[in-house]
Amino acid sequence: MDRAVHVAELRKVFDVPEREAGLRAAAKGLVRRRMRKVEAVAGVSFDIEPGEIVGFLGPNGAGKTTTLKMLSGLLYPTDGEALVLGHVPSKRGRDFLRGITLVMGNRNQLQWDLPALDSFELNRAIYRIPREDFVPTRDELIELLDVGELVRKPVRQLSLGERMKVEIVASLLHQPQVLFLDEPTIGLDVTMQKRIRAFVAEYNRRHGATVLLTSHYMADVQALCKRVIVIHHGRILYDGQLTGLADQFAAYKTIGVALENGQVDLDHYGEVLHRDGDWVTLRVPKAETSVVAARLLTEQAVLDLTIEEPPIEDVIELVFAQEREE
Amino acid sequence: MTTLTETVPRREVGSARAWADFYLSTMRLAVQEQFQYRTANYFYMFGMIAEPVIYLVVWTTIADQQGGSVQGLSAGYFAAYYIVWTLVRNMNIVFGAPFWEYRIREGELNKDLLRPILPLHYDIAYFAGWKVVVIVLWIPLAIGLSLVFDPLLDPRLLEIAVFAVAIWGAYLIRTMFQEALGMLCFWTTRGAAIFDLWMTTELLLSGRLVPLPLMPDWVQDVSRFLPFQWAFFFPIESLVGDLSDEELLRGLGVQLLWILIGLAIFRVAWKHAIRRYSAVGG
Amino acid sequence: MNAFRITWLFFKVGVLNELQYRVNFVVQLFQSAIALVVGLLVLALVYSHTDELNGWSQPELLCVLGIQILMGGAIKTYIQPNMMRLIEDVRDGKLDYALTKPEDSQVLVSVREVRIWQVVDLVSGATVLAVGLSRVTTDLGALDALAFGVALLFGAVMIYCFWLLIATGAFWVVNMYHAVELFDGIFQTGRWPVGIYPGWLRYSVTFLVPIAFAVTVPAQAVTSRLQWQTLALAVVFATVLFVFARWFWRFGLRRYSGASA
Repeated sequence: MDRAVHVAELRKVFDVPEREAGLRAAAKGLVRRRMRKVEAVAGVSFDIEPGEIVGFLGPNGAGKTTTLKMLSGLLYPTDGEALVLGHVPSKRGRDFLRGITLVMGNRNQLQWDLPALDSFELNRAIYRIPREDFVPTRDELIELLDVGELVRKPVRQLSLGERMKVEIVASLLHQPQVLFLDEPTIGLDVTMQKRIRAFVAEYNRRHGATVLLTSHYMADVQALCKRVIVIHHGRILYDGQLTGLADQFAAYKTIGVALENGQVDLDHYGEVLHRDGDWVTLRVPKAETSVVAARLLTEQAVLDLTIEEPPIEDVIELVFAQEREE
Repeated sequence: MTTLTETVPRREVGSARAWADFYLSTMRLAVQEQFQYRTANYFYMFGMIAEPVIYLVVWTTIADQQGGSVQGLSAGYFAAYYIVWTLVRNMNIVFGAPFWEYRIREGELNKDLLRPILPLHYDIAYFAGWKVVVIVLWIPLAIGLSLVFDPLLDPRLLEIAVFAVAIWGAYLIRTMFQEALGMLCFWTTRGAAIFDLWMTTELLLSGRLVPLPLMPDWVQDVSRFLPFQWAFFFPIESLVGDLSDEELLRGLGVQLLWILIGLAIFRVAWKHAIRRYSAVGG
Repeated sequence: MNAFRITWLFFKVGVLNELQYRVNFVVQLFQSAIALVVGLLVLALVYSHTDELNGWSQPELLCVLGIQILMGGAIKTYIQPNMMRLIEDVRDGKLDYALTKPEDSQVLVSVREVRIWQVVDLVSGATVLAVGLSRVTTDLGALDALAFGVALLFGAVMIYCFWLLIATGAFWVVNMYHAVELFDGIFQTGRWPVGIYPGWLRYSVTFLVPIAFAVTVPAQAVTSRLQWQTLALAVVFATVLFVFARWFWRFGLRRYSGASA
C-alpha cells in the first residue's frame, strides 16, 4: 500500500430532525419527528501520497471536517471507501490509531492544571513509546516550537497560542505518519498563526509525515499547501496545485492606476473595482493585461501603475459563486 | 422650538405604577422562561422529593411500630407534613448567598449596578414569577404523592388562606436573609464555609428535617427566636396542623416582623458593600 | 491487564492534579464533617423516639450510615467525576480525543478523572462503620467479613454500571445533566435499610438504581443478616449489568459515529 490516504466515492449522509417554528409544530414534533437527509459529503475521491501536505478549503458546512472525521475513524461513512495507511479508519485498529494524530483548533486535551510535561508523560504511556525514542522526540519538538519555558507552567496559565503549541507537541510525540489538523490556527493572532504554519512545514520536511489540513483561512493554505482540495456542499470543486486554481477559475488580473484626475471614466478599459481618490483598481482578463496597460499609459495621465494576480480569496469566492450558479 | 438651555421635562410614570409595572413585567418574563425550562424544573423537583419521602417513610414506620403515632403525631400527619413540605421547600429556594459570589466574580454585578433599580428588586420579582410556575407544576406532583401516602389533611378555610399568604411570607423571609448573607461575598471569597454553616443550622432548626415538636425542648426554644422556622415550619403547620385562629394570624405577623428585620439588615449591609465595591473596584 | 495499567496511569496524574489544590482538602473536610454531624443527629433524633427501626438497632443503623458515606465517597472520588465529564465531552465535542487514542474507550472515559480529596468521605464512613460495629451485639465471623467485601465490591460495580448507562444516554439526550441531579437525592435513600420503604420504592432502589445492593446488602453482611441467596443475586445482577452496560456503551459509540444500525 503505497498511498498514505486513498478515498473513493466517500459519502456521508446525516439524518437531521426538521421542525418549523411555533408552538404547534413543537407539539407535533413531540409525537412524530420529521427527518431530513443532509448529504454532508457527496461522493469525494482523492489519493494522497506519503509526505504531501494537502489543504482542504471550503466555507463552514462544506464537508471538510466531516471528511476529516471519516478519515480519522470518528465517523462511519455512509458509502464509499477510505483507506489510511492501509487501514480502514472506522475499524479503529490499534495500529491505525498509533499511526495518526488529530489536532482540533480551540479544543484542548491537555491536563489543565498541570505542566505540559506531565501530559507528555501521559501520552508516552498511552502510546507505549519507549523512553529512548520518547525523550529525543519530545526535546526536538519542544525546540522546534520554542516552548522550552512554557512546558513547565500549568497549561491554564498559557495564552491561547501557547496552548496550541504545546498541544501540537503532545500530539506528535508518538511520531504519527498522518496528521489531521482541523482548523489549527483558528482564534490565534497573526504572529502565532505564522509560527505554527512554519512549524508544520518544517516538521513535514524533516519527517515526511503526511498532513491533511482543513481551514477557512486562505493564509494557512497558501503558506503550507502546494495542493489544495476545494470542497463545497460536500463535493470537490478543485483538486490540484494552488497556483492552478487561479488559472482555472479566475483568468484575470487587477491593474491599479494612480491618475492625475481620478474622476475619468475608465469603463472601456476594464471593470472598475475601486475608486479611492485618484487611485483606481481595474479588473482585466488575463490575456488582455499588457494591451490594456499599454493603452492606459499612452491615453491617460498615469502617475503610477501596478499589475497584480487576483488575491486568492477572491478566486475562492468566485469558485463558490460559480458553483452556486450551477 | 426648544433652545439648548431649555429642556423639556421628561414625563415619567408615577412611582407606584412604575414599580408595579416593573414587578409584573419581570414576573411575566420569569414565567415565560421557566415554563420553557419546565423539563429541567420537573427533574429538579423530582429529585427533591427523595428527601421528604425518605423522612416520611422513616417516621411513619416509627409511628406504625409504636401503635400509630409518635409523640401524638399520627402517620397521616407525617404524610401531610412532608407532602406540603415539598411545596414550601420549593418556595424557599431563592438566589442563594453563593450566587452573589458568582455575580461579583463573573462581573455580572457591574451590569446590574448600571440599572437604576436595586438588584434586590430584580431578584425578588424574577423568583416570584418563577414560583408561580413552580406552584403550577407542583400540583400534579402533590396529587401523586397523596395517592401513594394517604395524608391526613382537612384544613379550614382560614388555614388555607393563611397558608396561601404564609408561603409567600416564607419566600420573602428567606430572600431577605439570603441576600443579606450574600453581602459577605464583598469582603471574602471564602464565604462558602459560612453559608454551609448557616444552611446546616437552618436545616436543623427550621422544621425541614422533622416537624419541630419532635426536636428536643431546648432546640424548640432556641428556634423560636430565629427566623428559620417561620420560613418553613410555620407555613406547613398552618395548613397541616391544628393552630388556633389567634396563632395563625400571629404567625403571619411574626413573618412580617422577620421580613422587615431581614430587609433592614440587608440595607445596612448593602450600603457598606457597595461602598467597599466602589473603593476596591470589584 | 491493560485496563489496570491505564487506571493506575490516570490515578497518578489525577493525584498530581488535586495535590495542587490543598485548599480543596480543607473545604472537603469541612463539608464532610457537617454532613456527618447532620447524619448522626438525625439518627440520634430517631432513636430518641424509638428503640429499633424495622428490626435494626441503633448501632446497626450506624453501620448503615457508615457504609452509605463510604460508598458515597467512592462514587464521588471516581465514578461521578468520570461520568459527568463524559456527558460534558459528548456535549462539547471533546470525546473525539478519547476515541482517537489506541486504548479501549470505555476504560479511558471511566478512569480519566479522580477527585482525591473525596477520600475524606471514605475515611469518615469507615470510621463510623467501625464505631457501629464495635457496639453491635452479634459477633462478626470471617465469613461475614468476606461476604461484606464481596457485597461492597459488587455493589460498587453496579453503581458504576448504572452511571455508565446514564452517561451513555448522553449520546441521544444531550441534556443528561438533569438525570445526574436526581442521583444525589435518590442516593439518600441508602441512609436507611431499604426494608422500610413501600414496595414500589424498594424495588426501584434495588433494581432501577442499585442502591440497595450498594449499601443495604453490605450492611446486612456486616450485621449477620445476609442470606446467601441475596449475595448470589448481587453477584449475578452485577455481572449481567456489567455486560449490558458495556454492550450499551459500544452501541452508543457506534451510533455516535454514525454506523448504520
